[in-house]
Amino acid sequence: MKQETHKYQFPQLEIYKESLELTHLKRKTIIFNSLVFVLAGIVLYFLIQLGSNGETVITTMLMFIILFLVNIAFYSYEQDHYNNLKIAMYISTLGVYIIAISLILRFQTPSMFTSLFLTYAITSIYQDYKAMILSNSALFISGTLLILRFPSIFEIVGNAESQTFFILVFLIVFVILLSLSSYILIKRKTFFYNQLAQIKESEIRNMELLLEIEKIKTNKTLDSKEYYNSLKIFSKELSKKIGIENVFERKIELLKDLKKLEMSDILAKYTEYTLKEIDEIKYMELEIQKKMTMIGIKASKSQGIEVSRKEIFSESQFKSFKHFGDTQYVKIISFVVFYTLLKLDKPYLFELEEEKVKDVLLNSEYFYRIDRNIINIYLDNNDVFDTIVNDHMKGVR
Amino acid sequence: MKTIINRILNSEFLTFNEVLRLKVAIVTIFLFIFVLLSIPLSNFNSFNLDINIIVPVIFALLLIFTLLFMIFNLNRLAMHFSIYTIIGLTIFYVVGSDHFYGYILFFVTLTVIIFYQDIITYLLYGGAITVYGVIYIIQNGDSIVGINSTGLEMSSLTYQIILIGFYITFLIQFIISDSIYEKMNNEWVRMNKVLEKYQDFSLEYLKEISESNEQELLYKNFKFQQTISELSIFINEFFEDKGENIAEYVEFYFFLHDQDINDIINDKEVSAFTRKNAIEFQKYLMNERSELISILFNFSTLFKGDSEYNEKRYEYNLDKLFSNKIDKLLSLAIFYKYLKTEITQYDKWGKIERVLTHEEVTELFVSKEFREFISFEQVNFYLDNQEIFEKYL
Repeated sequence: MKQETHKYQFPQLEIYKESLELTHLKRKTIIFNSLVFVLAGIVLYFLIQLGSNGETVITTMLMFIILFLVNIAFYSYEQDHYNNLKIAMYISTLGVYIIAISLILRFQTPSMFTSLFLTYAITSIYQDYKAMILSNSALFISGTLLILRFPSIFEIVGNAESQTFFILVFLIVFVILLSLSSYILIKRKTFFYNQLAQIKESEIRNMELLLEIEKIKTNKTLDSKEYYNSLKIFSKELSKKIGIENVFERKIELLKDLKKLEMSDILAKYTEYTLKEIDEIKYMELEIQKKMTMIGIKASKSQGIEVSRKEIFSESQFKSFKHFGDTQYVKIISFVVFYTLLKLDKPYLFELEEEKVKDVLLNSEYFYRIDRNIINIYLDNNDVFDTIVNDHMKGVR
Repeated sequence: MKTIINRILNSEFLTFNEVLRLKVAIVTIFLFIFVLLSIPLSNFNSFNLDINIIVPVIFALLLIFTLLFMIFNLNRLAMHFSIYTIIGLTIFYVVGSDHFYGYILFFVTLTVIIFYQDIITYLLYGGAITVYGVIYIIQNGDSIVGINSTGLEMSSLTYQIILIGFYITFLIQFIISDSIYEKMNNEWVRMNKVLEKYQDFSLEYLKEISESNEQELLYKNFKFQQTISELSIFINEFFEDKGENIAEYVEFYFFLHDQDINDIINDKEVSAFTRKNAIEFQKYLMNERSELISILFNFSTLFKGDSEYNEKRYEYNLDKLFSNKIDKLLSLAIFYKYLKTEITQYDKWGKIERVLTHEEVTELFVSKEFREFISFEQVNFYLDNQEIFEKYL
């Protein structure tokens, strides 16, 4: 059975993750360029010390300058900033390799060959999948070609034994280790972006769930009419106090109309406002929109929350049915209770069909919250689970 | 191998401990390759036969220790042993030969340490191996000078600068990642706690609904208990010959629902074994906002909230949500009214029946935490006009 881990991921996550990543990408672009700047300085020092001719110095420095210009251009163009910075990142990754290779070919020494590793380190600042693939491929291809096509680079004074084969083996092992390492590290980065994006979305959904349950309990919803009436009196008194014209009233009218009228009618009636302004005012509307309610819920529940240092990166923060140190019995019982609850009708969630339960447990993050052996037993025998629940729970809720 | 590949592919879902275990497993495979390589490469080194036999055997023993620590889930210890092995291998390669491939191992060692993403480990072991590398180049730089080099001095300087540059660059990368991830994780932990508060309220409402409908609580229902027991026995049969051994635990689990679990946990007269089980089960109780309840609520949200994303979806700050001054003031008034008139708090009997008073709202408005929702300017405006807020909203 093929697993699609992201099948049940919230659809809103991707765009938010992009905005989170953009903030960090800007910072990483600056740091990358600063490092390349330092590298350029060191290269210039070496070229001067070695008494290289003017042409070599100018061409090498020109390559660095072009790289900086490309980065500045893409950084400055803010429209579609995320994709622009990504393009700058790919160009920069390849660019520094080109500079390193040109230096290796120019000097043809084993010490200069190791600049490929330094180049790899600089590009790793980005921690990006595609940049990682580019960087690893560039390191592997250029390293291999240099070893095979220019073995004289690795000839050492006073040592006639051939080392080419072992250098190649070491390079291959090194590149594989680097690739695996960066793959997992980038996955961890994705993990943090995912966790944060997911909890942001989960917060909204939990607030909606709370509102839904509250409505079942109290059989009441927010009285928007009363809110607008109070606002009207409040704004009148406020305007009087601060000695201005009542500029609020028209907006309160608009808020009331937002529920009743189509957007075209709103635009025709409130010609003083643009669509963009109305879109913003809409956040204050209380019947269809839930923004102000959400802010109210969040604010009323957010006091007194403190995070201690030991809670950060703590395993206990991850809610699961497979806590380290728990006995196998506890892992089994907790999963079984969870599974059975999914199969029952609840005020906030209808009972789920067996196929649905199995599909979600297999194709979502919940797969990883259950002990691997236990979830495998369930997936292989889910019809037995279903039969047991149906036999006993018939008629209960 | 298939399991390792699967785990690598899905490593973003693994816990910190599981990821560390996976990393140690990967490093161990590579170390095994390097230990194997040391056998043919012994032809090129200057050690005698005894050392060439004893040293790889010691490395093999270190690898066995690493594996043993992994089996017993002592992953951090396993990590340290794998680092000792690679450091030992590097020293063995570079001291025993004057070949360039030995020098590459300095970078391999740093990569292995970087892989573990632990800044202290990197500063300590990574720093030590870099210093050793620099000393080695200063003392033995002449043994790895290329025939095309212009001289020992420049060759040695290049080796040193690149090795130190490699170390510093990854140190910078560490610092960036650490600050980014720590900030993100901090926010995540804080939000987790906020979510738990929402879920506390949801559960309290559900309890009240159940009470008012005079419904039997599910965990007291015999059929439900029987279902849990039978399913648990069924799973346990895959692990033990006597699957029914788990039945007593199921009974204990439901028994805990009728007790004050903290009394059991803190009662020194109760056996340590019972208390341990009570602690483990506390996470999965159905009558309080436990991990089980949180997971269940979060699971339910998979089927809710399908509204589209917009750039202000996760924005709760009125100052950032609105650009127009009038809108900022109007939204502040709505916000105040919500807090002052909607039931959002527990009363003294633990029921959700209380609203915030004007004084409490004022206290919240001026608090540091509330900068997440309103700006200083909005607070100042509120303080200047609070009597109107109180009277008309």
